[in-house]
Amino acid sequence: MARMLAIAVDRGRCMGNGQCVFLAPEVFEHDENLQSTVVNPAGAPEDVILKAAAFCPTGAIGVADAETGKELFPG
Amino acid sequence: MAATALHDDLFAPDVIADPYTYFGRLREADPVHWNPRGELWVVTRYEDLVWLVRHHELFSSAVIKNDRRAPSPPIDPADEPLLAEVRAFRSDQLVEHDRPEHLAMRGAVHEYFTPQAMEGWRPFVRAAVNELLDEVEPRGRMDVLEALAAPLPVRVITQMMGVPEEDRDHLRHLADRLLYINRGEPNRLRLLMEGIEGMIEYVSPRVDERAARPGDDFISVLARAERDGVFTRHQVLVNTALLLFAGHETTMNLICNGTLAFVRHPDQWELLRADPAGAARLATEECLRYDPPVKSTQRIAAADVERHGKTIRKGDRIRWFMAAANRDPRAFADPDRFDITRHPNPHVSFGTGIHYCLGASLARIEGQEVFRALAERFDSLRLETEELSYSPSIQFRSLAALPVAWD
Repeated sequence: MARMLAIAVDRGRCMGNGQCVFLAPEVFEHDENLQSTVVNPAGAPEDVILKAAAFCPTGAIGVADAETGKELFPG
Repeated sequence: MAATALHDDLFAPDVIADPYTYFGRLREADPVHWNPRGELWVVTRYEDLVWLVRHHELFSSAVIKNDRRAPSPPIDPADEPLLAEVRAFRSDQLVEHDRPEHLAMRGAVHEYFTPQAMEGWRPFVRAAVNELLDEVEPRGRMDVLEALAAPLPVRVITQMMGVPEEDRDHLRHLADRLLYINRGEPNRLRLLMEGIEGMIEYVSPRVDERAARPGDDFISVLARAERDGVFTRHQVLVNTALLLFAGHETTMNLICNGTLAFVRHPDQWELLRADPAGAARLATEECLRYDPPVKSTQRIAAADVERHGKTIRKGDRIRWFMAAANRDPRAFADPDRFDITRHPNPHVSFGTGIHYCLGASLARIEGQEVFRALAERFDSLRLETEELSYSPSIQFRSLAALPVAWD
């Protein structure tokens, strides 16, 4: 069983470039403001989610272990 | 309608010199405009551009493959035999693909271009900027293009390709030839073909080398993708060339257009000078918005689409203008003002969505390091010419030269 992740999109930073939606469409979607929103934190394997966070051009995505709170990205 | 009073020549000198007035008028009067001369739709509003780009299933990027119209403006009749080869080259570019192929191809090179990976290149970029500026500073003047904007991206990209320093001039020559894509000159195909053949000849043996002995360079990344069946050999060659010229002219334009904006807005230059390291990040975003390196990109409709009461038919060409969308008053307050503290600044100069510029992080670093270094070195820059000339391209916003001087 994969661990649960807490994924946060900083809406002050998100410019809606869509790289997370591109890489992990089951996890991230664009809302009506064209900003990224998390629809399913378990929608993709952890490495894919970390990759989506790493590719955000504005560094808007943070990922943590939901249980321990340990920051996984930016880390 | 006011727009009908506008001429329809997108290569006319007034449009090339100042795209903001022409496309700004279209944006206000006829935001989804049919241009009969170019046989294409011209899209200029921010909201429309974002909507269209995001609907990649409606607007195909495989323009070259799907568009059999004659080149516009016309080419030399003698060059027509080159057309098939140029099309074969261009249609193998990553940017000319839709899903699902695009997803696999982009996935293979994604890792190399993450913001974190590109941050690792900042020291190299900073050193290159300083080396180039050290050379010209004692002279009291420079052509920004020749001294800084053109050599910098070539240094960075050739380093990324893992090729020797002495090959830089040759690759820069090839990059200049490859830039005839989307230009208007009748002899452009012949010049472009020189670049294509030169690149294939130069890169081919290096791909074999890296396939046998992979390194951490970009050609090795593509060679691995070939081994994994994601890229064909032709695609490896084409996309190495794409990296070279996509990162070349765009970065040149960012540096020249941004520097020009500072020269013309001394108050913003003073703001940057007050804190070059701190202000460079937002300043670079504003340079990108205000006078973007790439004015427009094109797609071809994959279905009939209604927008603003117009019907875009399947097979129609669409060209959307980031240069106009970035100045849309519906999206930006006081859009014609160059304001380096603007934040947030959701410009579309790198596009948006699945085709978002792969090299955006690198471009940002290059821009930040250049504007920072200029502000640290020079109290003021003044323009040494009355007349600025832009290349006759519908896609790129490229100065032919930018002579400046300092005290």
